[in-house]
Amino acid sequence: MKQNPRLVPTFFLGIESTAHTFGASIIDDQGRIITNVNSTYRPPTGIGIHPRKAAEHHNEVSSGVIEKALHGVGERVSPDAVCYSAGPGLGPCLRIGATISRALALYLDKPLVPVHHGVAHLDLAMAAGRSHDPLAVLVSGGHTAIAVHLNKRWRIYGETEDITLGNLLDMFAREAKLPSPGGVAVESKAKEGRTLLALPYTVKGNDVAYSGLLTAAIRLLMEGQSLPDICFSIQEVSFAMLAEAVERSLVQTRKKEVLLAGGVAANQRLREMIQLVAEDHGATFHPVPIEYSGDCGAQIACSGRLAFESGVTVPVPESFVNPRWRLDEIDVPWIPRP
Amino acid sequence: MDSSTLDLQPLHRGAEADLFLSQLPPWKVVVKRRVRKAYRHEKLDASIRKERTIRESSAIRDGKVAGARLPSILGLDVERSTIIMTFIDGLLARNILDRMSNARRLALLEELGRQVGFLHSAGITHGDLTTSNIILPADEKPFMVDFGMARKSTDHEDHGSDLHLLQRSLIATHALDATSSLRRVAKGYREVVGEEMAKSSLRKAAEIARRGRYFAIR
Repeated sequence: MKQNPRLVPTFFLGIESTAHTFGASIIDDQGRIITNVNSTYRPPTGIGIHPRKAAEHHNEVSSGVIEKALHGVGERVSPDAVCYSAGPGLGPCLRIGATISRALALYLDKPLVPVHHGVAHLDLAMAAGRSHDPLAVLVSGGHTAIAVHLNKRWRIYGETEDITLGNLLDMFAREAKLPSPGGVAVESKAKEGRTLLALPYTVKGNDVAYSGLLTAAIRLLMEGQSLPDICFSIQEVSFAMLAEAVERSLVQTRKKEVLLAGGVAANQRLREMIQLVAEDHGATFHPVPIEYSGDCGAQIACSGRLAFESGVTVPVPESFVNPRWRLDEIDVPWIPRP
Repeated sequence: MDSSTLDLQPLHRGAEADLFLSQLPPWKVVVKRRVRKAYRHEKLDASIRKERTIRESSAIRDGKVAGARLPSILGLDVERSTIIMTFIDGLLARNILDRMSNARRLALLEELGRQVGFLHSAGITHGDLTTSNIILPADEKPFMVDFGMARKSTDHEDHGSDLHLLQRSLIATHALDATSSLRRVAKGYREVVGEEMAKSSLRKAAEIARRGRYFAIR
């Protein structure tokens, strides 16, 4: 849907609040990121994210984060639309972000735009990585999915049948008493590892399953195997599983671009593997820049802008959060990108 | 069998293997060679290639004995992760499904259901059942190929997984209506495996689909 140019907002505010990160970002009508301010809740070592504790953190930092995002470039920006992460994610966290966004939309008398957090990861990664119509690989704490765009929607070609890659790394790190974020800790330990230990390799068609691998890795830890070797083996086996599923999907879809997005996309070994797969099949590789891989306000502002320009807004009384919201349950008519 | 002396003409490059055409008179044969993956740790790569080569050839053999339409295994070269089998002349279902008339497509889906039924009643799971792994010869009687992910199993979980993957490929690649297309697959499947087994496999398939992330109803 084309908007009257005079009515198109100049600035979009994006509020991210799905899990450990509370973020706010301003993006202009050209999609340029003006500010991107984020504050991440870090649980004590050995403990996972408690949804209520994370929500309390978001509540405390929210006004500071939003103020900083609005003030970023000298003069204070007044947003013309408020975009919020409506799901999927942790209920208590989602409600904090949604409540603040509703209040802002009412106070400013500006439209409210619901955003799917996973779609937003892909939108920001596509914008920053200059991708148009990719085979999208989304790897984070909430998603491990391979998707392509067809008939207005992302279609899932492969995904995890149990826990995500982010869950696997976080849960193992927690057991091994490594500090949060788990993925970063496992990656740095893995650099010292040399020996490949036997771990279950489970690929079903284009799907993967990681829970058996997690159990086996924890058992190796209990047996007293070297932590660097276990971390090295977890990465080698779990990433190879995903790389294989990506390769199969790439051959089936014949896409010419491979996008890698989400928090785990910051892992250098995973980037290297997916790049090898892409180039081996004549596709270009588009990894999300590291600074935009994790959850952030900019992804919500970026996706919210595209949604708004396609006519997506929600009246405050009908606005919602949806802790379970699949990547393939939302129309994304703005893809492929020009 | 030593496959290194065969004269190989490139036929197709798959995700995990290269396919070549060759002659093993009187047969026209396909030589399937699993190749080293640069992204994979060498030790892991070697064990995966060996294991799958052996599993694939035995699954094809067993499936054929059970009555499914599959190529015939003519030779095995484990050292080079290579299988030699008869060549099936036809088109990929993936490439022609969207151009078929509704009636022909539904008839094909029903026949596919039967073929999967033969495999499952023989205790074999295909493991990668998509329209890219189905070849249609001129008579449109489908052949299933690529048993690289196959396994011996009588577990409903694995049977359901086959049906789930087929259904997802119909939705994701061909944007077909899930209900009507799966109904025809189920009809053929039920015919071969019987009411009871069909019921549990289909129930499992629906359950596996819901295991994906963030389904509202679990």
